Amino acid sequence: MIEVKNLSKHYGQNTAIDNISFSVEEGSVVGFLGPNGAGKSTTMNIITGYLSASSGTVTVGGFDILEKPNEVKKLIGYLPEIPPLYPDMTVEEFLNYMYDLKKVTIPRKKHIKEICELLKISDVYGRLIANLSKGYRQRVGFAQALLGNPSVLILDEPTVGLDPKQIIEIRNMIKELGKSHTIILSSHILPEIQAVCERIIIINKGNLVADGTRESISQSLGGENKVTLCAEGSESEIFKGLKNINNVEAVECGGEKEPGVFEYYVFAKKGCDIRRDIFNYCSKNNYPVLRLVNSALSLEDVFLRLTSDNNIEVNPTNNEESGDKK
Amino acid sequence: MKAITKREFKAYFTSPIGYVFIAVILALYGYYFFQVLMLRSSSFISSVYATMFVWGMMFIPILTMRTFSEEMKNKTDQALLTAPVGVTAIAAGKFLASFAVFAIAMTATLIPVLIIGFFSAPSWPVILGNYLGSLLYGAAMIAIGTYISSLTQSQLVAAISTFGISILLLVIDQLTSLVTDDFTVKIINWLSFTTRYQPFTKGILSISSIVFFLSVIAVFIFLTARRIENKRWR
Repeated sequence: MIEVKNLSKHYGQNTAIDNISFSVEEGSVVGFLGPNGAGKSTTMNIITGYLSASSGTVTVGGFDILEKPNEVKKLIGYLPEIPPLYPDMTVEEFLNYMYDLKKVTIPRKKHIKEICELLKISDVYGRLIANLSKGYRQRVGFAQALLGNPSVLILDEPTVGLDPKQIIEIRNMIKELGKSHTIILSSHILPEIQAVCERIIIINKGNLVADGTRESISQSLGGENKVTLCAEGSESEIFKGLKNINNVEAVECGGEKEPGVFEYYVFAKKGCDIRRDIFNYCSKNNYPVLRLVNSALSLEDVFLRLTSDNNIEVNPTNNEESGDKK
Repeated sequence: MKAITKREFKAYFTSPIGYVFIAVILALYGYYFFQVLMLRSSSFISSVYATMFVWGMMFIPILTMRTFSEEMKNKTDQALLTAPVGVTAIAAGKFLASFAVFAIAMTATLIPVLIIGFFSAPSWPVILGNYLGSLLYGAAMIAIGTYISSLTQSQLVAAISTFGISILLLVIDQLTSLVTDDFTVKIINWLSFTTRYQPFTKGILSISSIVFFLSVIAVFIFLTARRIENKRWR
């Protein structure tokens, strides 16, 4: 549905995006992940035809954005980072204006009413946009993108400014829309991408650094196979015992966490799940297991690894420790 | 384009700009109408239009300053430019909305003249000539103002620049007396809006003047469209 080839964009001396290529199949939900200023919005602006690329091509539904801009624009519903709302219009006026502007042919009243109900903005329908809260504005912006039922939705940080309940509602809505639409969604909120998207594209400093499902990305990074164990009993005994389990490469002791309870980091060979072995060993020797966690790379770790400047050592256990304190 | 014109036109009247613009134009017209025609017992309507017209041109920047600057500042141009509408339609739509407000103000100035028409026979060719001339001159200024607005995010900068150009065009004729070079005088005369406007005030429907003003409008709508397009490439 969307084909992006060798896309670059320069702002004077600055390179906003550098030779990005990817394609999105019809009906998939793709998450664009990256720190601030990574080039997410620029890429989206180019796909929607708001900006032009310095080089490279974008085709949507088979139409080139430069050759057939109007055809492409008809296919796309776009919610920019800052919702493009006129403060001097009411929601009603604004949606009707966008309906005309987008040359929508679906029966007007019913269509607008449906969208308002979907986004729960019917109760502010007659109010001036200037007087709406951020959450409502965001949803009116979303409503505008859905007008005309475009087959591609491009959403630039759609849940910014919403309260937690609304965020969940919008996420569920995006999931629901994803069944019948092609969606590109950008965010720097990791759980959001994780919750909604099948596929993740991570960009950093204008470069595409990863593309795939969450699992495939963390696997390709070669995350270490590490298990964290908290067990009660003699430290040295357990330490020795763990080392003797099959496929275990190394064991580290993490110190005493509670009286008589020690933490151990067990490193296993790649591809081996040693959690059962550890459990069996502990139960056989009567060491109560208080916690047993597989510390695979979370999306957060993947993200930090791929986007941090000085390759900050990502240590999954650190996260867990801070979690313990809470 | 229709949707854009409709929205822009409405926007003039949801804020006070449209009302204030029309009110001020009509107040000035009323004043000069009274001063020239009543106090001097003259029927020289051209003088009313000519004086009022100068003021009118000074207010046009107020109409045009917001057209694109506001969109850029509010980022609403993202909706406009990602909608399936051509850039020329956007530029023309904006121009038409500003022009409609100006045309309403100018048309309202005909009301006192019409009333006089019931009681005597004013020189209709001169009156309509003045009316049409003002409309065309104003439309050309609006096209220029719209273009300037597309150059900057700041409404103030847009207004002041348009104001400057407006004044320059009003006084450019006076430069001819300072310049001796024939060629330069020729260029100034060619550029001068006022020399094109003059025939109308005498009640002459000058085709070349109409073509001149329409060309200026077309050129600046075209430039505005190019400017919007060009912004994508920066």
